[in-house]
Amino acid sequence: MLHELNRYDLILPNKPSKKTAELGARYAPEFVCTPFKLTLGTFIESLERGATELGMGGCHAYCRFGYYWPVQKKILEDLGYDNFKFVPIDYESPMEILRTLKNKIGRDVNYLQTLRAVRYTYIANRLTDLTDNLVYHYRALELEKGLTDKIAKNIYRRIVDTPGIRNLLKFQKEIPKIFDHEIEIDHSIDPIKVGIIGEIYVVLEPGLNVDLHRRLNKLGVVVEHSNTLRRFIDIPYKLNPFKHLTRDYEVKVANPYVEHRLGGETQESIGSTILLKKKGWDGMVHLYPFSCMPEIISRSILPTVSRDYDMPVMSLVVDEQTGEAGFQTRLEAFIDMLGRRRKISKEAQKKSIDFPIAQIN
Amino acid sequence: MQKKVGIPRALLFYKYGDLWSTFFSEIGAKVVISPKTSKTIKDLGIRNATGEDCYSTKIYHGHALWFKGKVDYLFVPRFGSAHKTHVGCPKFQGLADVLRFMYPELPKIIRPYYSQAKAGHGKLRFLQICFSIGFKFTYNPFKIINAIHKALKAQRNHLKNLIISESKLEQWEKSEIYLNDPPKEIQDEIPIKIALAAHTYVLNDPFASLDIRKKLRNRGIDIITSEQMPRSLVEQQMLKLDYDMYFDYEREILGTVLYFIANKTVDGIIHIQIFPCGPDSIVGELASRFSKHDDEIPLLQLTFDELTGEAGLNTRLEAFVDLLRRKRQKQINEKYLRRQPISHLHSLTSDL
Repeated sequence: MLHELNRYDLILPNKPSKKTAELGARYAPEFVCTPFKLTLGTFIESLERGATELGMGGCHAYCRFGYYWPVQKKILEDLGYDNFKFVPIDYESPMEILRTLKNKIGRDVNYLQTLRAVRYTYIANRLTDLTDNLVYHYRALELEKGLTDKIAKNIYRRIVDTPGIRNLLKFQKEIPKIFDHEIEIDHSIDPIKVGIIGEIYVVLEPGLNVDLHRRLNKLGVVVEHSNTLRRFIDIPYKLNPFKHLTRDYEVKVANPYVEHRLGGETQESIGSTILLKKKGWDGMVHLYPFSCMPEIISRSILPTVSRDYDMPVMSLVVDEQTGEAGFQTRLEAFIDMLGRRRKISKEAQKKSIDFPIAQIN
Repeated sequence: MQKKVGIPRALLFYKYGDLWSTFFSEIGAKVVISPKTSKTIKDLGIRNATGEDCYSTKIYHGHALWFKGKVDYLFVPRFGSAHKTHVGCPKFQGLADVLRFMYPELPKIIRPYYSQAKAGHGKLRFLQICFSIGFKFTYNPFKIINAIHKALKAQRNHLKNLIISESKLEQWEKSEIYLNDPPKEIQDEIPIKIALAAHTYVLNDPFASLDIRKKLRNRGIDIITSEQMPRSLVEQQMLKLDYDMYFDYEREILGTVLYFIANKTVDGIIHIQIFPCGPDSIVGELASRFSKHDDEIPLLQLTFDELTGEAGLNTRLEAFVDLLRRKRQKQINEKYLRRQPISHLHSLTSDL
């Protein structure tokens, strides 16, 4: 997207690692939420590599996220980096996004070009979302281990390299076919299906959630998450009355529990639990960073939802000190529990079928 | 029979308590306010609330649970904000729903939703809420209008008594008047002045704040709290920030800290944070960064939670007060030295 705005002097941030988190945690306030620490760490690393402009989202919501950058700016200035500037993007209003992109980030571009860049971005984002969800499905069932990751890597590369919007749209139709042709999956197993809900950054960032999706896939579990950045940038989906993001349905279903937006992903988490139960999924994993305000609300309400709809939910707190082994053990136990639950319910079904026959005899 | 309404004495009660209790008693309900926070209530809250909730919210859970079986209705408003863009804490909005689902045994919860920033609610919505609540207790609309009138008046009075004017603040800075109760024993010629910045529900809850106000008073210290600060001064300080601070209650706190850092009219500032309050973590960091750049006025940041010991707090307070006293003594000494003729000093050094 930034290429479209005539900017080729990019420094792509490193993939967040444990080291990034430690770097961020050293300079961040004591009980701020984990994404703050991680982004701060990333910024420090980027500045070390010579970045001069840092982009960051800003907003006026209930979340602390909108106030990340002023504080981070102060911290970075105190650390002695003085040759940089922050470009905050207020993502709550589409016009504001366009204006910032054109005037502050783009070089010699007009609004039409900016609009095209945005369009290119959200279409590419649709593609990556689609690929993600396919990967989470195929990786659990693949016969040749590691093949899905290889193919997915190629596809991501192709999405980034494809020029033009039309080509991208064509490629969108190809993606499911590529997966279908090239990966051999085990059709005989009926896999356990688990949904992942929670705070968007933690769900989407493998560096922070200790690569939860891969871990679950390795256990032979199909996963899905409905959190996506498209909620903020996919404007046609927002405007089109016939198309809805999954989020809209989730908000509707969650209405008896939470009626208003509380920031974070409270409504989405609750709604997703109900929707996936109706689809026949087995369980949910709820992720949230330590001291996240809105997610604590959903953490408090989710047990009730889980009881009402008979859907197991496991809540996991994530912060920069999350241990991998502990995480793995809990996940394995949870998946074992889901498997046993399924067995029991099947046996119960069998019994209920057996019962009338016995009566006839 | 008169219907009973319970209002937990925690969080927003300290800000809007007068408004609510006047309104309910005027429309003919019997208002029951939970007792002051005690160890029993705290334990009740901590045992039942989610582990990661902030300390104040846990106390709120305790207060709400105290009402079990005692009242007909529980009043837990879902209050978002009373400003066009500034918002409160998301937890205040979620509280009613959380209580409803976590403890089904609680009495019926009255949970009006009001948020000017997010839902664009205005006066009409306020009236709507008042009437919908009012008709639960009385069928006389005039009684409700009267109640609204009186409640708003009570709230205005509350704010008028609480928030001081700028001229009064100036007088206090010159040590001409006391704003709160005067210190118990006067140890210094001019009592040491400390600005106490914290949330309303921490300052006014002696249990949650470990009675810090009384402790300071007993050490002969004159205090001003962040809720007393004139709002115009607070807004002035907010212009120093890069970006509009959109947490409404935090503006007050940060504004107080920044005002005294810039004006240097107090001896020290104490900022109380609650673990793990979201906005506090942001504001605390900003305050400490500002104080580092302009470090004449010492800033003490205390973090409170259910495990904070009283002994630890006492030690830190004593150390802080000693530091302030010594600093003042040093200033006086310097003034005294400056008055000495230079020739005299010169002769002293030549003797050596």
